[in-house]
Amino acid sequence: MPTGKIAHRHKAWFIAIGAVALVVLGAGAGAVILLSGAYSTAATKQHFRITYRILELGLKYSVAQNAAEIVVPDLARVADIKIGQACYREHCLQCHGAPGIAREPLGRGQLPSPSSLAESAREWPAAHLFYVTQQGVRMSGMPAWEFRISEQGLWSTVAFLKAMPEMTAGQYQQFAASSTDVDCPKPTTAGVYSPERAQIMFRQYACDNCHLIEGMVGPITHIGPSLEAWRKRKYIAGVLPNTRENLVHWIVDPKGVSPHTLMPDLDVVEPHADHMARYLMTEGK
Amino acid sequence: MPRYASLIVAAVALAGCARDGEPLPSVSGGDVERGRVVLDRYQCGVCHVIPGIPAAVGRVGPSLDHYAQRPYLAGKFPNEPEMLVRWILDAPAMAPQTAMPAIAMSQQEARDAAAYLYLSD
Repeated sequence: MPTGKIAHRHKAWFIAIGAVALVVLGAGAGAVILLSGAYSTAATKQHFRITYRILELGLKYSVAQNAAEIVVPDLARVADIKIGQACYREHCLQCHGAPGIAREPLGRGQLPSPSSLAESAREWPAAHLFYVTQQGVRMSGMPAWEFRISEQGLWSTVAFLKAMPEMTAGQYQQFAASSTDVDCPKPTTAGVYSPERAQIMFRQYACDNCHLIEGMVGPITHIGPSLEAWRKRKYIAGVLPNTRENLVHWIVDPKGVSPHTLMPDLDVVEPHADHMARYLMTEGK
Repeated sequence: MPRYASLIVAAVALAGCARDGEPLPSVSGGDVERGRVVLDRYQCGVCHVIPGIPAAVGRVGPSLDHYAQRPYLAGKFPNEPEMLVRWILDAPAMAPQTAMPAIAMSQQEARDAAAYLYLSD
């Protein structure tokens, strides 16, 4: 064949075959890396610098995009810094530390490491701080606090975060000591019902770690009974007739219903239990 | 390079493996085939879904699928063969408020039933 005179349609085929071969090779390489366990999941192994940077930037951009719609209320009116400190002390300190105060062992040895908030609180806008606190960060140790702290509590926490970088170690200690009589407020409502919100709640209370739940992606677990098609069941925990009210009662107080049960008391507030019970009694065939 | 070559071979070979880990529990002295007959005859399926027994579609109690993989029995006890045999024979003695009744079957029948359940998928 004369050089340089490959027919146009043959070139197109070569390119197509080359592209498919690349995809197949890439998938094959990925499968080998996955199945061989060559990629380390250890928290002790450092990322490549580029990987770390990409993940860091990825978080920033994602939060910025997703928090764009959040309207920051007038914090002077809505937020109470003492409540914010109470929430910080109860929930955040253990991983993030505070001025002059070390984080608990829980917050050490994590990858990614919980940021020292003195910096983030100065750099990040209030809406972004709210978003991260409320929604958490997947594949990190940062939980979502939306279902554990009331909305007023969350904004109060944000207000406190903004004030914290201005404190010396002594000032923080003083302020913390002055707010020991205050509690971090739990949510008292569940919002409008939707199956999606119920699913978020299941994850927030870690229900899907022991139970299979209709429509949820999670571990395949047999610790507790499957909750799929739950409305067809006649009994709850083998002792209580399966009605929505009884289900709420069970979720809120398992040991009150069955003293030796292995199901723990997860501190579920009743509006959330009702939301989740509704999901269980309506979803599934 | 040779190291990664063996990784590739290993990866392909391992892909066909069943789950690894601890061996699943089994009931000594229990016969799986007889167990299936026992579960059928005592109509356990009136309350429980049981794999391999088509008439067992009851929803009063939990489904007994993947029984061997369950760490717990009746939400209270470790899932061990001897516990299960006891439970089948006299559940109310172990958990007074349970809706599951005591079943008048022999020790051997209970062992057989338990053996079947541990092999169920």
